[in-house]
Amino acid sequence: MYKLLLCWRYLLTRYLALVCIVSVMLGVATLIVVNSVMAGFSTKLRERLHGLLSDIVIEAHDFQGFANPQGKIALIQSDPFLSQRIEAMTPTLEIFGMIQFNCNGTAIARPVHIIGIDPVGRARVGGFAEHLLLHKGQPTFELSPEALQHQRSLHPPHRLDRIADILAPQPIDGKPAPEPPPRTEAPPSTIILGYAIAHFRAKLQPDGAPEEVRTLGPGDDVILTTISGHGLKPVEWRCAVCDYFKSEMSEYDANYVFVPIEELQRLRAMPDRATSIQIRIKDYRDLHAVKEGLQKLLPAHWELSVHTWEDKQGPLLAAISIEKGILNVLLFMIIAVAGFGILAIFSMIVVEKTRDIGILKALGASNRGVLNIFLSYGLLLGAVGALLGSAIGTTITLYINEIEQFLTKWTGHELFDRSVYYFNEIPTDLSVSSVLIINVGAIAIAVLFSVLPALRAALLHPVRALRYE
Amino acid sequence: MLDNLPMLAAINLHKTYRKHAIEVPVLTGVDLEVFAGEFLSIVGSSGSGKSTLLHLLGTLDRPDEGRILFNTERIDNLPSEQRDRLRNETFGFIFQFYHLLPELTTLENVLMPKMIGLSVRRWFRERRALKQQATELLDRVGLGHRLHHKPRELSGGEMQRAAIARALINRPRVLLADEPTGNLDADKGIEIIRLLRDLNRQDRLTIVMVTHNMEIVGNTDRVVRLTKGRVEDANNSNSLLQSSLTG
Repeated sequence: MYKLLLCWRYLLTRYLALVCIVSVMLGVATLIVVNSVMAGFSTKLRERLHGLLSDIVIEAHDFQGFANPQGKIALIQSDPFLSQRIEAMTPTLEIFGMIQFNCNGTAIARPVHIIGIDPVGRARVGGFAEHLLLHKGQPTFELSPEALQHQRSLHPPHRLDRIADILAPQPIDGKPAPEPPPRTEAPPSTIILGYAIAHFRAKLQPDGAPEEVRTLGPGDDVILTTISGHGLKPVEWRCAVCDYFKSEMSEYDANYVFVPIEELQRLRAMPDRATSIQIRIKDYRDLHAVKEGLQKLLPAHWELSVHTWEDKQGPLLAAISIEKGILNVLLFMIIAVAGFGILAIFSMIVVEKTRDIGILKALGASNRGVLNIFLSYGLLLGAVGALLGSAIGTTITLYINEIEQFLTKWTGHELFDRSVYYFNEIPTDLSVSSVLIINVGAIAIAVLFSVLPALRAALLHPVRALRYE
Repeated sequence: MLDNLPMLAAINLHKTYRKHAIEVPVLTGVDLEVFAGEFLSIVGSSGSGKSTLLHLLGTLDRPDEGRILFNTERIDNLPSEQRDRLRNETFGFIFQFYHLLPELTTLENVLMPKMIGLSVRRWFRERRALKQQATELLDRVGLGHRLHHKPRELSGGEMQRAAIARALINRPRVLLADEPTGNLDADKGIEIIRLLRDLNRQDRLTIVMVTHNMEIVGNTDRVVRLTKGRVEDANNSNSLLQSSLTG
């Protein structure tokens, strides 16, 4: 009982010990915030990647792709093991290319990754539909009425009408000219642009916060250039912007454009060819079994490779995991520094309390009892510091976006540059288990560093301690 | 027969303090007997080894040579747990500088030996009765009105009374007092000695007091003088004890 009482009284009366508490508290709070933000980024990144990539991809080794994708899909569906486990499949045709457009009189050209898709099929295999800005959940390449109107205003039909009128057959010998064929207005090719291709962030006011500026609106023209499937001849065509793809992943939002697969096949002279088949499976636990099943099913001479989305993004996911691990080690070193603080302060407290230790021993306290006083004191300091640190860390994590907005306003400098990730807010993933592990770690370090001074106190000779001045 | 035997006895005690290569012999063969209910004074000049002898008798330290017996049982060579228990239950200590714990109130200081001796569970079960006992003890030493004061709020005499109450809470068999009046003025010193005398007479508490104040030893049953690490008093023979042990 005396151990608890003395521990508690030492905590309340030794203000020097507050330094230990503050250092543990700061370490724990920092660890919780950094861990939660890292986990948030990691989770969001995984979600985005998984959503974009589908579960499994069957890929050709070159840009020529492979023939008859529907035949291959049918082959896979004919396999009872795979058909039971696969939810959806869709072919895609991917190629690098270049996009050109006009922005306030300036011609802009940039490299892009052109992906030919069936929008409905693509939506079935991944999170494509949710990332569309204008037709969220209803993937389509159709222009909205406003976009169509804008497109028509850019290419007024009356010019064509005039030309058509001039070229129209005139009456010959008083006989009326035969009726021209009915004029059909071919719908323009359309394109879904990566959000960052059509938008950028800039400070419009010198003192204001950065704002998003749209460079390409719905219905605006862009020119796509790529190579055809045979002979590598350049191919270019005009498209109208029908939607934006906003995955909040800068790599995708800044580089990907989506066009209808049939159109890309036609323009590249690659009818009925695709470069990959995207597959969604019913139960994620079957991922590797399905991958192996596909590898067995597809003949080797087709030269198709099968990857899971994790295989494709393995280095990135591993890098995030390694980063998180290294950060944790570095931050735990902050707590270790706090531990050295505890060691120094405890040593001072033991010296200061030498006579009290002698008194306790004279009253019958054992060495173990004295040891436990100081170990419990370390435990208490660690626990209080960890508890306060957890409260602060959790609060910062929960309100990190509000804090960031306040700091951005206050300092005039954007702390979280949304153009890097295109996350609307700083993602966080506050996990109870990681908070617990951090707490246990911090308390263990506090106890560990109090062992030495506690041992010193325990082994003090009672007579020497009583005579200490 | 046991009544004739000393309650506490030191036989040929030697103790030398060493610092680096320098050896300072403090006790060089002390023989001492303390009988139950006796109020014994140990006097001697500064550095004569009085406090060292008291610490050895109370198992706070171990002799280099010789034996200490309590009720004819040797106690100087006991394992440390048993020596801790002896200090907690059998011996009560009071010191010149009171040695109260500054973070605790007077009542908590008095209860400290109980807290040390009891498990947390037993403490919580008996805490009301124990607090009552401590309050009564503090009443008895005249500190009933100072229960919740911290030591820094007490006078020297009050602190020593609190220390006496603390030494008595576990109803010890022997009270070991190291210069209990050394830090007090004459009047307060006499009050403390009277209190000890009362405890000795009313409760038949055995008291061994170390002092260099010859004025207060008149109130004690017997005086033993230590000179150069030995007992000078020729009357303090331990022949009875030795004969009983060898016989």
